Amino acid sequence: MKDPFVLVWAVLLFTSLGWYGFLVFYIGAKAGKELKTLIADLTLARPPTPPAPPAPR
Amino acid sequence: MTLSPIDWIIVVVYVFGCLFAGLWMRRFIRGVDDFTIAGREVHVNLGIASLAATEMGLVTVMYTAQLGYEKGFAGEVIGVIMAAAFLVVGLSGFVIRPLRDAGVMTIPELFEQRFSHRVRWLAGVFVALGGLLNMGIFLRLGGDFLVHATGMPASWLESVMTVLLVLVLLYTVVGGMLSVLVTDYLQFILVGIGIVTTSVMVIINIGWTNLITTLQATWAASGGTAPHPFNPAHPTSFGWGYLIWMFVFQLAVVTTWQTTISRVLATKDSGTATKMYRRVSYYFVGRFLLPGLWGVAAFVYFSQHGGLPAGLNSMTAMPRYLSAVLPIGLMGILVAAMIAAEMSTISGYMLTWATVIYNDIITPCLRTPLSNRGQLLLTRMILLGIAIFLLFFGLWYELPGDAWTFLAVTGNIYLASVFTLLLAGLYWPRANSTGAYAALILGAIGPLTFLVLAKVLPAHQIPAEVAGGSSFALAFLGMVVGSLVSRAPAQALHPQPTP
Repeated sequence: MKDPFVLVWAVLLFTSLGWYGFLVFYIGAKAGKELKTLIADLTLARPPTPPAPPAPR
Repeated sequence: MTLSPIDWIIVVVYVFGCLFAGLWMRRFIRGVDDFTIAGREVHVNLGIASLAATEMGLVTVMYTAQLGYEKGFAGEVIGVIMAAAFLVVGLSGFVIRPLRDAGVMTIPELFEQRFSHRVRWLAGVFVALGGLLNMGIFLRLGGDFLVHATGMPASWLESVMTVLLVLVLLYTVVGGMLSVLVTDYLQFILVGIGIVTTSVMVIINIGWTNLITTLQATWAASGGTAPHPFNPAHPTSFGWGYLIWMFVFQLAVVTTWQTTISRVLATKDSGTATKMYRRVSYYFVGRFLLPGLWGVAAFVYFSQHGGLPAGLNSMTAMPRYLSAVLPIGLMGILVAAMIAAEMSTISGYMLTWATVIYNDIITPCLRTPLSNRGQLLLTRMILLGIAIFLLFFGLWYELPGDAWTFLAVTGNIYLASVFTLLLAGLYWPRANSTGAYAALILGAIGPLTFLVLAKVLPAHQIPAEVAGGSSFALAFLGMVVGSLVSRAPAQALHPQPTP
């Protein structure tokens, strides 16, 4: 266990595990808001639906 | 252990929820810009989620676990190198800032502005060739995971691969990048939860001290001839030659790999792109190290349980190990997460290579430009063609060695030459079309030789680091000599920021 490489890998493993968890919840929440904004912008930019043709008499 | 009904319900609900979300985005597609780069409206956090989801595929989990099984933690040093490359580029803006400011849709498009129409076309061919060969093994590795993790009969592998591909194709063809963004977001959340909980369960199951002492004891018992499980520079592990190749390779990946760069080109501006790179960088340590931990744990588990069972190898040991130790419910979440990872990667990659084929290979050859509707139809037909190629290539091709080396060498077909063209095009005013042609052709020689020798003369195989490293050296040499022996270009490129 005294191998310095073991210590380096332990630090990398446990910090990346924590960082991964943080990213999922923090970035996930923020990205969700950005996705909602993107969809809202796209909805506004959508061309209006053309009026239906008049029914045949 | 096979999946329980609860596990299957989790998997089916997720897959169809994702499919519905992807199909729903079809209504917002107005033209080919929306379809391929989401109208350049992507903000930083959504960009991070999409980039992370696309670059974390089931194929990633399989090859990182294989590296962990064969080389211990030292095998995951590639993730550390990749994270360092993302951070350096994110801090400096190296390549990606002028690239985003140029306002192009693909990298070869920039080469038309800087070099010539024909250089763009040839670069497009190399980008598509390297990208499609690279992607060819994704389905096979994904199918291998599902067969060994769920306990389904091996004869179902082809059917499972086909169904998965058809589902992804459905939402990618109708919704393009907008569907990919929505499904990437869902997949980012689910894959993250699946990977974190599985990693915690693996550490609890195998025990950290047991893991380390078993790796040390196994290496000592081999008399130091097995790969060193902790020191990647040790001659029995990667060695310095391979690591130096990887440093250059990863710098090229983060600046020229089209699936990564497509997220840069979809951002609102170059400031958003560099911020995205800085924030996402450390993610790539976990991208390698966490699934790598599962591979290391599988090695320790089977070495303490009578060795690897018949029919398993270093690639399939990890899914079999997880199916033996994960509880009901968590196994369902993991399988759903891995299917999510596969779907996000395949959809993102298919769209990227289809964009290159449409934008850089076919469009420059058309005498009259296509209508908006024609452009969309053509891109969708290319997507269908790529899907058919993936099915047949995935079923037919046998890997020449470990999966990571295959992916690195096929990626290198275009990484060395396109990285050289980008560097010279953006930062060396003397670079010209002659140098660009020489770099493109010389850069592809090493990797293509490696792949051909692996099939034709496996006894005379050259090491991957020689094939990969020489391709960078030859591409640089070709660019410098080719440019200096021919006429200087009329103008260099000075891109201005574009909205």
